[in-house]
Amino acid sequence: MAEAIQKKLQSELEKYQQLQKDVSKSMSARQKLEAQLTENNIVKEELALLDSQNTVYKLIGPVLVKQDLDEAKATVSKRLEYINGEIQRYETLLKEMERKSEQHREVLSSLQQEYQRAQGQAVGKV
Amino acid sequence: MASLHDQMAATGKVKPSKDLSQGVERLKEEHKKVVKDCRSQIEHWKKVENDYESLQDRLRTLPDKLSYDIMVPFGPLAFMPGKLVHTNELTVLLGDNWFAKCSAKQADALVEHRKKHVNNTLDDLQKVMKNFQNRADFTDDLEKLTGDTGDFADIREEVINEEVVTKGKHRLAHKPNSKPKQEYLLKLEEEKEKNESEEERATGVLSEEELWARLDELERQEELQDKRYRLDSTDTNGEDTTSSSEEEKEADGGSDVQVNGHQKENGWVPSSITSQMNGTNGSHPEDDEEEEDCDEEAGNGLPTIYFSHTAEFKKVRINTGKNTTLKFSERKEQKVQAKRKKQSGKSNGHSPHESYKIKSPADIYRVFVDLVNGEPIPRKSILKSRSRENSVCSDTSESSTADFEERRAAFGRSWSHDDATHSDTSDGITEEESPTGTSPRTNGRFEAFTGTVIEKDPLPCSIPHLTIAPPALPTIPERKLEEVGPEAPQEPPKRMSKFKATRLHQK
Repeated sequence: MAEAIQKKLQSELEKYQQLQKDVSKSMSARQKLEAQLTENNIVKEELALLDSQNTVYKLIGPVLVKQDLDEAKATVSKRLEYINGEIQRYETLLKEMERKSEQHREVLSSLQQEYQRAQGQAVGKV
Repeated sequence: MASLHDQMAATGKVKPSKDLSQGVERLKEEHKKVVKDCRSQIEHWKKVENDYESLQDRLRTLPDKLSYDIMVPFGPLAFMPGKLVHTNELTVLLGDNWFAKCSAKQADALVEHRKKHVNNTLDDLQKVMKNFQNRADFTDDLEKLTGDTGDFADIREEVINEEVVTKGKHRLAHKPNSKPKQEYLLKLEEEKEKNESEEERATGVLSEEELWARLDELERQEELQDKRYRLDSTDTNGEDTTSSSEEEKEADGGSDVQVNGHQKENGWVPSSITSQMNGTNGSHPEDDEEEEDCDEEAGNGLPTIYFSHTAEFKKVRINTGKNTTLKFSERKEQKVQAKRKKQSGKSNGHSPHESYKIKSPADIYRVFVDLVNGEPIPRKSILKSRSRENSVCSDTSESSTADFEERRAAFGRSWSHDDATHSDTSDGITEEESPTGTSPRTNGRFEAFTGTVIEKDPLPCSIPHLTIAPPALPTIPERKLEEVGPEAPQEPPKRMSKFKATRLHQK
């Protein structure tokens, strides 16, 4: 009895840990996205400061590719949109994961109690 | 975590505080960490800001010259002498791999823009740092507040004194079923024994037969005394007429007592029955008390007790409206103590003995005991009507009203006795009597009714009252008594208020 519960507990714990890992991963991803957002925002603002005389380059791999300013602006705003979308996605993902981890925690605590009881019983029997 | 839990459970009390202190410790640590982080970030951003400052300086001075001789970094180790040309042509990394070729002036604007951002970030960081510092301070304060133990101090109730310090004893509610203190009982008994030397040396409770025998004897004595007394002083209480009628009534009272004796044999009859049998007072089947009541009733409706100032220790004259004198046994007297108390002015030689027993109001309760199955039990309330309880003690309420009226009567209004009597016990009888009973005097004076009104169940005990003649016709009542007496019991008991009775009577 106690062993079965222990096994279950173990598996649950592993799941829980995995989940926690995922949570932290998406958290860091989100943070990265946040940073990118601010960066792109700055880029956008600075692009706005430039005028048509200025040439704008995009570093793609090892080379700088010349870009049109308006094109660059459009690209940046698109990128911003994308980043915002990503952030939203991660937000929901995080919420979901939070909920799941909560559930897991409950299961874990109940399992733990059961396990303890089982152990106590075993001791009592002995 | 589980292990921690176990530990806590195992060691119980001490742990939580430790845990708490640990928690506080950790919180402080976290706060410190956050503040530290903020500090380092601020440092970083400050540096960035400084960099931008210098960059701005450079940018502003760069286009001043067409070319600069500089040492060009050549890998990580070497520098090469070189020349910086195109001093007004810059490629700026905007971020996210975006580059822009711009003039120094534009670059300067860009730098300015970036500096704004940097300043914003710095401000934010400062705010965060401040916030966390405050929090840390607060936790520090909290810890100090809670003391060295780290326990909560704000809600700490330590009951040091289990016993509340009060003056004297706690006052306890009079418990209905608790027995009176044994000492008091003993005292009572002792008293009895002393006084009733000629009586059976009964222990606390006499057997019923004995009691009744004694009561009968006492009644006989009373009657005798009563007659004697009346010869002596007819007008103590009123006119001759009344007294004569009273005597008649006394005789009746005797019979009445017998009736009562009946009841007595019944012993502890449920109060409802007894009350029916026993007239106005709704008296109790028990003991002497009852007798007294009955006597009073028999005498008239004014159950007042007068105590004669004779040398005889045991004789208590109960002066009902008709000057009935009753001789009471010691027991009775004891029980009547309360009554006597009320009649403060008329207290007889027993008062010292009274005072001996009753020293404080609380002691009254000890005197007021119920006899249930021979066990003395304190009464719930001495103010309650006895009719509901089997009490040994005299009913204070009843008697008090009677006293009141008696006193009132004593103030020179002899007529009022009868009046009161009628009203007191008024039943169907009153109606009968009212036509005959009309007296000129009453018509003469209408007075506002001042007595206490007590509604009572009409009882057979009241029969003798019927016989009470109107004051003007002293002799008639005797006959009447004979006539009416037998009839009366068959009459359906009628309730009538004193008011009504008085009114009827005065018609």
